[in-house]
Amino acid sequence: MTAYRLASGGLIDRSNTIGFTFDGASLSGHAGDTLASALLANDRLLVGRSFKYHRPRGIVTAGPAEPNALVTIGTGARRDPNTKATVAELYDGLAATSQNRWPSLAFDIGAVNDRLSRFLSAGFYYKTFMWPAAFWEKVYEPLIRRAAGLGRTDLPRDPDGYEKSWAHCDLLVVGSGPAGLAAALVAARSGLRVILAEQDFVLGGALLSETTRLDGEAPFVFARHALDELHGHPGVTLLPRTTVFGWYDDNVFGAVERVQKHSATIDAARPVERLWRIVAKHAILATGAEERPLVFGGNDRPGIMMASAASTYANRFGIAAGRSVAIFTNGSSGYRTAEDLSAQGVEIAALIDSRTDASDRAPDGVRVVRGGGIIDTKGRRRVRAVIADRGGFEELIACDAVAMSGGWSPVIHLACQRGGKPVWSQALQAFLAPEAGDGLVMAGAAAGHYRLSECLDDGARKASAIVEALGRPVAGFERPVVGEEVDPSFTALWHVPGARSKAFVDFQNDVHGKDLGLALREGFGHVEHAKRYTTSGMATDQGKLGNINAIGILATMRGVSPAEVGTTTFRPFYTPVSFGALAGSSRDEHAMPVRRSPLHGWAARHGAVFIDAGLWYRSSWFPKAGEKTWRESVDREVRTVREHAGLCDVSTLGKIEVFGPDAAEFLNRLYCNPVLKLPVGKARYGLMLREDGMVYDDGTVSRLAEEHFLVTTTTAMAAGVLSHMEFAAQVLWPELRVRFLSVSDQWAQMSIAGPKARTILQAVVEDDLSNAAFPFLAAREVRLKGNLKARLFRISFSGELAYELAVPAGYGEAVADALMRAGEPQGLCAYGVEALNVLRIEKGHVTHAELDGRVTPDDAGLGRMMGTGKPDFIGKRLSTRFGLTAADRAQLVGLKALEADKDMRAGAHLLKDGAKPSTINDQGWVSSVCFSPTLGTHIALAFLKSGRERYGEKIVVWDKLRGVETFAEVCDPVFVDPENRKLMA
Amino acid sequence: MAYDYQAVHALDGTIGAVPGQRANHLAVHRATAIAVVLAAPGHGAEAAGILVADGAFEARFCGPGEWLVLSEVHAPETLVAELSVRLGAFAFVVDQSHGRVALTLSGPDAARILANGIAVDLHPGAFAVGRAATMLCNHLSVNLARTGVDRFDLVVMRSFAEAFVADLKVMARSHDLSVDFATR
Repeated sequence: MTAYRLASGGLIDRSNTIGFTFDGASLSGHAGDTLASALLANDRLLVGRSFKYHRPRGIVTAGPAEPNALVTIGTGARRDPNTKATVAELYDGLAATSQNRWPSLAFDIGAVNDRLSRFLSAGFYYKTFMWPAAFWEKVYEPLIRRAAGLGRTDLPRDPDGYEKSWAHCDLLVVGSGPAGLAAALVAARSGLRVILAEQDFVLGGALLSETTRLDGEAPFVFARHALDELHGHPGVTLLPRTTVFGWYDDNVFGAVERVQKHSATIDAARPVERLWRIVAKHAILATGAEERPLVFGGNDRPGIMMASAASTYANRFGIAAGRSVAIFTNGSSGYRTAEDLSAQGVEIAALIDSRTDASDRAPDGVRVVRGGGIIDTKGRRRVRAVIADRGGFEELIACDAVAMSGGWSPVIHLACQRGGKPVWSQALQAFLAPEAGDGLVMAGAAAGHYRLSECLDDGARKASAIVEALGRPVAGFERPVVGEEVDPSFTALWHVPGARSKAFVDFQNDVHGKDLGLALREGFGHVEHAKRYTTSGMATDQGKLGNINAIGILATMRGVSPAEVGTTTFRPFYTPVSFGALAGSSRDEHAMPVRRSPLHGWAARHGAVFIDAGLWYRSSWFPKAGEKTWRESVDREVRTVREHAGLCDVSTLGKIEVFGPDAAEFLNRLYCNPVLKLPVGKARYGLMLREDGMVYDDGTVSRLAEEHFLVTTTTAMAAGVLSHMEFAAQVLWPELRVRFLSVSDQWAQMSIAGPKARTILQAVVEDDLSNAAFPFLAAREVRLKGNLKARLFRISFSGELAYELAVPAGYGEAVADALMRAGEPQGLCAYGVEALNVLRIEKGHVTHAELDGRVTPDDAGLGRMMGTGKPDFIGKRLSTRFGLTAADRAQLVGLKALEADKDMRAGAHLLKDGAKPSTINDQGWVSSVCFSPTLGTHIALAFLKSGRERYGEKIVVWDKLRGVETFAEVCDPVFVDPENRKLMA
Repeated sequence: MAYDYQAVHALDGTIGAVPGQRANHLAVHRATAIAVVLAAPGHGAEAAGILVADGAFEARFCGPGEWLVLSEVHAPETLVAELSVRLGAFAFVVDQSHGRVALTLSGPDAARILANGIAVDLHPGAFAVGRAATMLCNHLSVNLARTGVDRFDLVVMRSFAEAFVADLKVMARSHDLSVDFATR
């Protein structure tokens, strides 16, 4: 036994014993333990294998910077790999397993890498696995990924729920140590809305492991009183188990709260994790400071940990890291740990101080080796001894644990996430946060104030300034009387000379001192290059412990100050965040809202097959009994429309009402065709261009009154056209007196098309629908029998005699039912978007399959619509530019398949008969295809170079994707009723 | 043939009513008349004055020179007609009674539930009783009006109403919520 639970002490509940397993072994701990402290209490020093060399590794820290003790917690779909044992709260039934080892943690085959390490230097895989090139992706990379690595994930469906919430406050305090608590108290007493976030499951930060007395009592007592008071303030939200991971624009902070990660049984009514977006007027980062490891030979053996961690395990968790602990320090921290351990009756094997003279006092009876250093350690799965060197005199010191302290670095991560670069402080031998402006300030140890009294004062002072800035009276804060404090200084020691074995800089990525030297020699001495070359500072801990030493070593090797080397870039996230938390509730149907037409229920009753069309669900076709394929249904629907009549749901079209004295002028500039003189009661086809002269969208414009228009857009572009109009009204022509509103959801709209359409509609509509009274392109309000007001438009997409009838959405189903009843004797059928598509291809009408952003009105055969006489419209100027008027542009044509058994597909290219497929020989492309039941053959719409001059030509439709070639005849794109006799009937 | 059209509510048969009155309740209004008022360019102040001065209407801000007017007593056509008469040339009035769905969320956790989808600060000091605005709730646009400390009216697009209610139920997962049509 080496590490063990002390007989008394610590903030754990010894009356509450908790059972858990590690690699299948049943162990126990107490409430208040972390997994790491419980493992130490069970003398489990070996907890993982390192990334590359598979070296045995133990617990190094007592917090979120832990590089080694990464374990997988949970089983099945609830496995969380790479969880830091040092922050994982122990719970009854917790099942943890170690990672990156095979077949077992104690005996790991991969450890052979350590013996091969001279072939595995930094960047070795870039050099070794270069040839043959094709092997990298298929052979080398998978092998390397399997050999090196962290925990593995598998992909069963996550059974748990996650939540995303917004929070707002005057002051966000990150960290609940002395500075954070003092700040929160001042702000709360001054009446501010305060959020106090703490990554730990117990609030109190360093006060939980600190021994300096406050008002004569243990510091956690002060923390408890402060938290009791904060609980009583209505404007205060305390968020334990909440890591603030990112700082974003507008002073928004991202934080993840582990709501149920400390329980074996999950309450399905609550999320397991909650992602907070905290909008803070001000923020105080009281994130403390991180102790630095020392880079000495063999510094990675299990049993070697940070001095502050040894103190925390003793003071907060009642655990001795060993029976005989050697301490290696470059400052006062090692002496404090010596005191903490001595006070618990733990033997100090020796206190090795790298400084030759220091005023720090060691506890009585502790041997101090001044001006010394550790050059190697002994032991395999745990440390047995250290070799200390002082001026060439070597000494083997037996011990079963080592506590190391290389000084302190303020935790400034969040403050540097928005581009600010850390600033080197020569006095503190550390990087400090840059000035971040009004929204964010550092306090306490995070600002370089390490003494407890300074932390309390600084927190209170920074909060007071914020209260003042918000124009509120500042409430008082009487700092408790602080017991005897020590000088927190240290003398930087980036690496310990004379290392006999690997001296690790980055434990998680197995980067040692020599790797950095190699990087510098090979020209990768810049700190960002060195990171990529050596992998120092990568992976889950992002160098929280090791980076500062890597910078110090690079600075030493280059002979410059760490200020000149600088740091790598700080980015979110401070610690890893699960994808589940980031997705929140946006999964399954909540990832993309379902948008339903008001006629959805009607279509469903008629057996519609639905299809996702953008956000909408649209009825695709309506199969009847006996129809085996979708084509059978669609062919029947098309024939019925052409011979009798059909009813189709077109509610999803965008509808925008436009008002105002300048509404006509506004639309006249928006569309490329003239709108100004459109008579009241009439509709017109409209084409909108982009500034660059390409077609943007098409639809109809109806003039309902002199200063009142209704425009329709395609389903896909409804939102885009509205934004386009807002831009035009607000930015381009603010002088035009016009207002508009999307009314898409107000109306259920039905297309009734076919030779019988009038007869059917007349049965339902009071108004006279004769050709004279309601001619082609009439558009006005009508009254339905039963006294319901509706809007009727005589427009056609199919080429048939057709109308679109709009009624208030709630009445849609009832009116559609009435039409179906009225149309039954006439052979009316419901038809879906597939038949709609066939009908419009047969008639040569374009959609966004044709209007793909590369097409001008002339390309689409709509060149004569351009109102070139208009003073201006969007797209007018650039329509005349070179290239857009070239004679050999691809023009819309029709194609008739010449081989009856061969269909065509959109996307196929066109070639002259006998020409080799090549870019040079490319004649155009196919945009829309269908089987035409009316013509009894496959037809297509296509764009063909100078196409309108080539009707009658036989052309090759070349489909590389399917490997099919077929012949087609070029023709007019209007296959059906080119004289528009049916339309006008 | 008789023509007697019955209107269908967007949420009929779809909301999966959670009946009763729990601590928090989402009431779906079946027959609220809703109109959008667009101030005529240059006449925003006059339109606002008439809308606010007249206590007969509940006018909710939803954008510059744009209000939603809700009524439980008017039929859609009479609401539009009455507003048009009162506003005259100062505004355009558009019937949206079928285009939008009105809901009321009430209960001690109402603001907390909404904070699971809405980024706006709903603290009573920041978003006071009587205020309204159009905002995003997760993926969807909603006009939110505070009608009491623990009471909000929500107006959403008809076609998204079903998705919105499904979303709101998830947002309220940790809070006791019942959902049903309002009884008048």
